[in-house]
Amino acid sequence: MSQAISAKNVTTSTDKRSEFVSYYLPAILAIVGAFLMLFLRLQIGQSFISDTALMMIALAFYVLAAVLQLTDLYAPSEIARKISFVSAVLGVFFNLSSWLVRWVNLYEFEIAQLRASGNMETPWIFRHIPFSNLYDLSLAFAFGAGLATILIIKRPSVQSLAAFSLPLAAIILTLARFIGGEYTNLMPILDSYWRPIHVGVASISYGIALVCFAIAVAYLLKDNVKVEAMAIWVGLFTVGVIASVSKFSVFTEFVYRAGIFLPNSPKPFLTPFRLELPFVGPLLVMTGIFCLAMIASFLAYIYKNIEKAALIGHWFLRLSIVTLVLSIGFLVYGIKTTENVGEKLEAQLAANSAGYITAGKAIAERQQLSAQEFAQITPFQFERMGRQFLQENKSKMYLSLNTNPVELAGLITALVALGFVALFSFKTEHLRERLPSLETLDGLMYKTAGLTFAGLAMLLITGAIWANESWGRPWGFDSKETGALVAWLTYAAFLHTRISRGWTGRASAYFAIIGFLLIIFTYLGVSYLLPGLHSYA
Amino acid sequence: MSPETTKTATKTAISLAKGKPLWERALDFLSSVRFGIFLLCLLVVLSFLGMVIMQKNVQGFDTYFASLTPAERWLFGTLGLFDVYHSWYYNFLLLILSLNIILASIDRFPKAWSYIVKPKLEATRAWLLKQRYKEILKTVSNDSLAEAIKAIFEENGLKAKITERGPRTYVFAEKGKWNRMGAYIVHLALLILFLGHFVSLQTGFDADVRLIPGQTTNQIQLIEFNLDLEKGLSVERYNVDLPFTITCTDIEQKLIDPKGSIDINNTIDWRTQIRIDDPEYGTTIADIQLNKPFSYRGYRFFQASAITVGNARKMTLELTSQKDGSVTEVLLERNGFTSLPDGTVIEYDSFYPDFVLSNGQPDTRSGEYNNPAVRLNVLTPEGERKIAYAFFNRLPDGIPIGAPVAGYKFRLKDFEKVPLAHVLSIKYDPYHGAFIAWYFGGFGLLASLAFVFFFSHQRFWALIEKSKDEIIIAADTNRNHVSFEEKFKKIASKIKEITKGENYVTSDFGEKRNHFDG
Repeated sequence: MSQAISAKNVTTSTDKRSEFVSYYLPAILAIVGAFLMLFLRLQIGQSFISDTALMMIALAFYVLAAVLQLTDLYAPSEIARKISFVSAVLGVFFNLSSWLVRWVNLYEFEIAQLRASGNMETPWIFRHIPFSNLYDLSLAFAFGAGLATILIIKRPSVQSLAAFSLPLAAIILTLARFIGGEYTNLMPILDSYWRPIHVGVASISYGIALVCFAIAVAYLLKDNVKVEAMAIWVGLFTVGVIASVSKFSVFTEFVYRAGIFLPNSPKPFLTPFRLELPFVGPLLVMTGIFCLAMIASFLAYIYKNIEKAALIGHWFLRLSIVTLVLSIGFLVYGIKTTENVGEKLEAQLAANSAGYITAGKAIAERQQLSAQEFAQITPFQFERMGRQFLQENKSKMYLSLNTNPVELAGLITALVALGFVALFSFKTEHLRERLPSLETLDGLMYKTAGLTFAGLAMLLITGAIWANESWGRPWGFDSKETGALVAWLTYAAFLHTRISRGWTGRASAYFAIIGFLLIIFTYLGVSYLLPGLHSYA
Repeated sequence: MSPETTKTATKTAISLAKGKPLWERALDFLSSVRFGIFLLCLLVVLSFLGMVIMQKNVQGFDTYFASLTPAERWLFGTLGLFDVYHSWYYNFLLLILSLNIILASIDRFPKAWSYIVKPKLEATRAWLLKQRYKEILKTVSNDSLAEAIKAIFEENGLKAKITERGPRTYVFAEKGKWNRMGAYIVHLALLILFLGHFVSLQTGFDADVRLIPGQTTNQIQLIEFNLDLEKGLSVERYNVDLPFTITCTDIEQKLIDPKGSIDINNTIDWRTQIRIDDPEYGTTIADIQLNKPFSYRGYRFFQASAITVGNARKMTLELTSQKDGSVTEVLLERNGFTSLPDGTVIEYDSFYPDFVLSNGQPDTRSGEYNNPAVRLNVLTPEGERKIAYAFFNRLPDGIPIGAPVAGYKFRLKDFEKVPLAHVLSIKYDPYHGAFIAWYFGGFGLLASLAFVFFFSHQRFWALIEKSKDEIIIAADTNRNHVSFEEKFKKIASKIKEITKGENYVTSDFGEKRNHFDG
C-alpha cells in the first residue's frame, strides 16, 4: 500500500504543478508577451506603435471580452466564452505593453531634453517608471483589474464575472484617454525607489477592489435584489453627475459648458473660461428629469407594489439612456467641430458678463493671494482681469476632450451603469440562474476584499515610510492619505462584520461597494477636488 | 436537551446577563466587535469630513475660510472641523478604539489559544456531521486503516495523530494552527503603530529653516496655525534653539535644461550642504537632497523646497583689461573670491536676477533671470576698495554702471543657476517614535496580514467506527474555503480509494456558515 501511496504521491505533485501552471498560464503569457513588446520597442525605436495606441487596443479588447461574456449570459455559447477569455487576456497583454512602452518613451523624452540642453547626465531608469501622474496610475489600475479578472475567471464557473469587471476596467482606460498621456517631466520629489513600490501597490490594490466591487454587484443580482432598486441608485448617481458637471450649471442654467485649452508644453493650459455647447445642456436636463421620474416610479413599485409604476419606470430608464447618449454625442461633436473658440466665447460672454468675473476670480486664486488681498479685489477688477485674459489669448483657445476628463468619464460611467441596469431588467431570472452560486460569489468577495485590505495596508505603510523620507513626516492627514485610510477602514469594518455578526452575503456586498466608491474618491476626487501635497496624482 | 429545557436555559442566561454588574456589562460592550465596527465607522465619517472641509494647515485655507458663510464658520469651527485630526474627540476615538482592540483580543485570546494547546483530537459523530466538509464511507475496517489514513493526511502536508478509544479510532490532522494567532499579531502591530506615532507627536516637533549660503543659525522655526472664528487664520512662527549651529555652505539645483528656469518643472533635484558645529560632538558636514534626509542627534533634515528667486552658484566673469585690451576669464563662486595675477582681488557681493536701479540703489525687479547681474567688491593692488557690476546682457556703451572699475571692464559671461535660498524641514523625534511606528508597526502589520490571509488553520478528522464499519471524514478551516474544498475532496477521494468504501453521505457545501466558527 505504501508503494501505491508513493506512486500517487508523484502523480499528485505533477498534477499540482500542471494545475498551477494551467491556472496561471494565461496571466503568465500576457505578462511575458508584454515584456516581449518592450524588447521590440527597444529594438525598433521611436517608430514603434505608441503607448496610447496600445492602450486603446487594450480598451477595445476589454470591451469585446465584456460584450461576449454578456452575450454568453443571455445566449450560452462556448465559442463566445472562449473568445471572451482570450480577449480578456489580450486586453491585459496590451494594457501592460502600453505601460512598459510608455516607460521607455518617458525615458527617451527626458534624455532628449537633457542632451538638447547639453546635459550629458543619464538618470537611473527607474526615475521614469510610469507612476507619476493620474494617467500612469489609471493605466496601471486598469491592468491590476484586468489581471485580477483573468486570474479569477480561469475557473469556468465564475467566468461570467468578467462581464461585470471588464467594463469598469474599460472605463478607467477611457478616463486615462481623456486625461491625456502627454510626456511630462517628473516632479523632483517623486524621484525615489519608493514610487514604484507605493504606486505599484496602489494600482494592484485598486484593481482587486474593482473586481471585488464587480463581484458584489453580481452577488446582489444573484441574491434577488430588484433590478429596480439598482436602477434607483444608478439614477441617483446619474443625477448627481449631471448636477455637478459644468460647474453645476446644467440644472441651474440649463447649459453645459466645456473647458477651454490654451496650447502649452508639455501639457495644455486649462483656461478659467468654459464655452457653452448647443443642445448638451437641455439634453442633460431631460436625462436628469427622466432619471428622477424613473426613481419615483421604481420607488412606487418597490414600496407600494404598483406594477404599472415599474413599467413606467422602465420606459423612463430607456428614455434617459437615449437622451444621455444624445447629450454625450452632441458634447463630443461640439468639442470636435467647434472652431474660433475665442470669438464664440466672446459672443456668449457679451450676453452674460458674469463669466468674466468668475474667470477673474480663478485667475486671482492662481496667484495665491492671501484672503485679505483677495477680498480687496472688486468685481469690476475681476471682470477686467477676465477680459484682459480673453483678449490676450482668444486666438489660441481650443476645445478638447481632455479639458474635463472626470466629467466626461462620469457621464460615460452613468451611461454604462444605466445600460447595465436596462440589460439586467431583460430576462432577469435567466440572468440570475447563469451567475455563479451565492456561496461562490460570497467566498470570492471575501477573498478579494481581504486582498484589497492587505493591499491598502501596504499602500498606507509604504506611503508613510516614503513620506517620512521625503517630507519629514510619515503621516499628516493629507487628503490622499486620509482617503486611503478611509477606504482601508471601510474594508476593515467589512472584514470584522463577518466575524461579529456573520454578515456574509448582502451586507458584505454593500460594504464592498462602499469601499470601492471610497477608493474611487481617493483616486479621483482627491486629485481634482481637494488640495494637498498629493495633488499631482 | 428538550425544547423546554433549552428555553429555560436561555431565559436563565438572559436574566444572568441582566443581573451582571454594570462594570461587567460595560466591559462586555467595550470589548465587543460590534462596538469596534461602530468606532471604525465613526472614524471613517470624521476622517471623511476632514477631507471635504479644508483643514487650517492646508495652503489656501484663509481664502477658503473667507468664502464660508458666518454660519458655516461658526458651525465648523465650534465642532472643531477645521482641525479634526487634532481635535480631542478624534484622539479620544483612537484611544477608545485601541482599548476596544485590547479588550476584544483579551476576550477572545483563550479560545484561540486553546486551538493551539488543546487540539481537538477526538470528536463525536454528531459534531463531525455538523461540519461543512464531511463524508461518510461504508467500509470494512482493518488494523492498518488508521495508519493509512494518517499517511494520506501527512502526504497532504498535515500533521496527524491517532487516538484509540475502544471501538473508535480517531485520526486527527491539522496544519497552520498558529494562524489562529494571526489576528492578535495584526492588532498588536496596529497598536505599536498607534503608540509609536503618539510618542512621536508628543515628544517631537516639526519645524523648518531657510538657508542662504554663508548663513549661520542655531534656530529653527516652528509653525503654528491659529484660527480665530472672527478674525480668521494667523500663522505664527516660533523660534526653537538648536544645541548646535548650522552653516549653509552650498546649495545646488540640478536642472534638466541648465539654461532654463529654476522652477519645479525643469528641476531634477536640490542639494543643500551644511556644516554642523556642535560643542559636544564637533564638526559634521552633510549633504541633504530630495528623498535623502540627514539625521543628527534626533533631528532629521529634509530638503523641502526653495525660494525661487534667481541666484548664481558659480559665475564665469570676463574681464577686459583697459591697459592692453586683453580678455581674461575667471571663475567666481557664490560668497567666494578670486585673485588676478596683478594682485587685484575680486570678491562676490550679491547677485541680482533682474537688475534694476531703484532710487539709485541696486535691486531686482523680479525673481526671473531677465537682467542678471553680479555685484563685486574689487580690492585693487593699492588697497583701494571699489564696487563693480558685471552684467550678463550687453549694456550700451557709456552707461555709468557698466563703466570699467580698477582697470577692468567686467562682464558676466556665464553662471550656474540656483535659487536664493533652500528651505529645509526638520523633524525632531528623540525617541524614534516614527521609526518604531512605521517600520516595526507598519511592517509588522504587513507581515501579519500576509500571515493571516495567505495561510489558514486546516483541521481534518477521520473517525473509524469499527462497530458500524464506517469512516466519517470531516474537515474545517478558518479561511480560504474555495481551495480548501478542493483539498478536502482530494483527500476524501484518496481515502475512499484505499478503503474502497462507498460514501453514502457527502458534504453539503451549500450550507452557509460563519467562517470563523470554532
